Amino acid sequence: MNNTTKHKKASKTKIHVDQAPYNTLNLGPTHPATHGVFQNILKMDGEIIVDAEQTIGYIHRAFEKIAERRPYYQITPLTDRLNYCSSPLNNIGWHIAVEKLLGVETNKRIDYMRIIVMELARISDHLICNSVTGVDSGALTGFVYVFQEREKIYEIYEEMCGARMTTNLGRVGGFDRDFSPTAIKKLRELLTHLPKVLEEFETLLLRNRIFMDRTIGVGPMSAERALNYGFTGPLLRAAGVDYDVRVHEPYSSYNDFDFIVPVGQHGDTYDRFCVRQTEMWESIKLIKNALENMPEGKFNTEVPAFYLPPKEEVYSKMEPLINHFKLIMGEIDVPQKEVYSAVEGANGELGFYVVADGGRTPYRLHFRRPCFVYYQAYPEMIKGSNISDAILTMSSINIIAGELDA
Amino acid sequence: MNSINEKPSYQVVDPPEGYSSPGFFATTLDKAVGLARKNSIWPLPFATSCCGIEFMATMGAHYDLGRFGAERLSFSPRQADLLMVMGTIAKKMAPVVQQVYEQMAEPRWVLAVGACASSGGIFDTYSVLQGIDKVVPVDVYVPGCPPRPEQIIEGFMKIQELVAHESLRRRYSPEYIALLKSYGIQLDNKYTHGL
Amino acid sequence: MDYNTLTEHLKEQFGAAILEIDPTADIFTMVVESDQIKPIIAFLKEQEHFDFLTDLCGIHYPDQPKELGVIYHLHHLKERKRIRIKAFVSKDHPYIDSIVPLFLAANWMERETYDFYGIQFLGHPNLKRILNVEYLDYFPMRKEYPLEDDTRTDKDDRFFGR
Repeated sequence: MNNTTKHKKASKTKIHVDQAPYNTLNLGPTHPATHGVFQNILKMDGEIIVDAEQTIGYIHRAFEKIAERRPYYQITPLTDRLNYCSSPLNNIGWHIAVEKLLGVETNKRIDYMRIIVMELARISDHLICNSVTGVDSGALTGFVYVFQEREKIYEIYEEMCGARMTTNLGRVGGFDRDFSPTAIKKLRELLTHLPKVLEEFETLLLRNRIFMDRTIGVGPMSAERALNYGFTGPLLRAAGVDYDVRVHEPYSSYNDFDFIVPVGQHGDTYDRFCVRQTEMWESIKLIKNALENMPEGKFNTEVPAFYLPPKEEVYSKMEPLINHFKLIMGEIDVPQKEVYSAVEGANGELGFYVVADGGRTPYRLHFRRPCFVYYQAYPEMIKGSNISDAILTMSSINIIAGELDA
Repeated sequence: MNSINEKPSYQVVDPPEGYSSPGFFATTLDKAVGLARKNSIWPLPFATSCCGIEFMATMGAHYDLGRFGAERLSFSPRQADLLMVMGTIAKKMAPVVQQVYEQMAEPRWVLAVGACASSGGIFDTYSVLQGIDKVVPVDVYVPGCPPRPEQIIEGFMKIQELVAHESLRRRYSPEYIALLKSYGIQLDNKYTHGL
Repeated sequence: MDYNTLTEHLKEQFGAAILEIDPTADIFTMVVESDQIKPIIAFLKEQEHFDFLTDLCGIHYPDQPKELGVIYHLHHLKERKRIRIKAFVSKDHPYIDSIVPLFLAANWMERETYDFYGIQFLGHPNLKRILNVEYLDYFPMRKEYPLEDDTRTDKDDRFFGR
């Protein structure tokens, strides 16, 4: 029998308690769990987070100032680098904004081709976000499976425009080339293969008890607060408001298609995961419908003052060469107008506010970036939770640093 | 495409120069250490923007960086050998890069991936650092915007060459100490005391 | 809700504060006096139900007497209508009321506008620089400042056409 009487007396040493009630913990800017460079300074009461303050701007590249110097075509590579997980979506959004400025209408074929590319970009972004949510809760397998599918999407981009990630895809008024037979073959293969991979990914995480325990009730946001904070995209839809720019103000013939806008209830991490998962299924359906019902027509619009001539003529004749040079260097003028045009980005409403003064470059270009607007609400979402829940909330709201700082 | 019954042809890697006989292989210490080090580099992926996503693709199953020995990514600089800076470094972030570099233990190498890390890239603006070689000494630059995974792997292989052929005394040499001093990084060990 | 009745309501409520209305732009645009901006936006939010703040940005016109401007984009979600409001302030007196009590989304947007243009938002809970470094002593998006950093040593302007 142990003699434990020695330990029954209370310790006589005095313990000095720190006078300040809360600890400060610095999360970032370099941290394995922050997906991008941004810093959170957390005020903690033991393990519970009491308050948080963010510092961003660690990758501020002054896009808006650069855009005042660049002609309209040279801004497309800048928009690539906003949300670099879904670059073609930003490119097409910018081209739609310039078309609104010039008053150009695109035909149905171009619209359907654009829908295919934008939905591919949306799938690409949601695949990263959902798999990284899995990684942050400890499930690394889904990430590796899903990245293989993203390689296939990169191959399709390469076939369409030559680049894997920062695509600079399309032209004002359409595309520079039609979808080649290889691209269509790869698209069809993707459409048969991706649903199987998505189902396998869902069996790993969607009804996984550990994942559900970790994500249900974590990082909630109510619908009224979300609207006040300016949330858009999957976060607002997970909170219960069905605002989707593709349905509200249809652009690029989205109103020809019938797709569900998924809506959650509590706005917590599990709802965001499910909303993104459902949006991926809807995107697959959209791509399939657009590919099957693609009408005949030209892949570009005659915007004589703006449309780049075809490459065969540029390399062989004189006038198209001069025209090409003048367009890229921005010698062509635009009307004096201002325009706000929004597309449904992977994270929410991506808006372009262009003020044109008739010169070769925009007078002012402002990007309405969804990440920047909803990251303000992060302290409210994590108040009262543990660090591990805060990390999971951060990965589920899909902060892309390029879009945050621009 | 080879049929599944044909044996794939491998290239056997040559051992370093040395004298071998049944039962032993003799070579110089730095060659042996270089061989061991180059095949087990632990990188620190300092991924800030678009090049970081290409790095994630490089670590994926298609372009597997793990087969070069870099399977174990270390996010703590204390345990890392190679600092891979991928993405734009803004002036706000520059002191952080230097702080992370200072925490790494010798021997350490730096790989600048992407045009933005090498020279500022397309962002010649007031807020972007025009190349990380303004704050840390860089060993290999990988250009590209973003570089393809094959290019990142080639940059990594060049780092492996540097690692394999490095002299064991390099980190204590006066040239190296002067190089770090030019960046404002003070080394503090018995060889540099007083320099 | 249609824009004509909206114009009438605004004119009878605020009269002289509405300087200019342009219904022919891509979305309904109006220029208002900067000292009445908070009551106007509160009216639009509460009475006319424009309950979503899409965007808030700044702009600089060096040729006008009131050089700096703040541009608000509001959105009526139920009726799917947007509205754009512009308010101008002068460079020597760049003060305007903050609309953070009405829309929490304006918090960081106003900090970004302050960071880029130097417009002071009165009543903002935490007005400090957000994207640039704290020790930056000028407001970079104003038209008089260059894009490039003048102190950089490795790029020769002659080769870059500047």
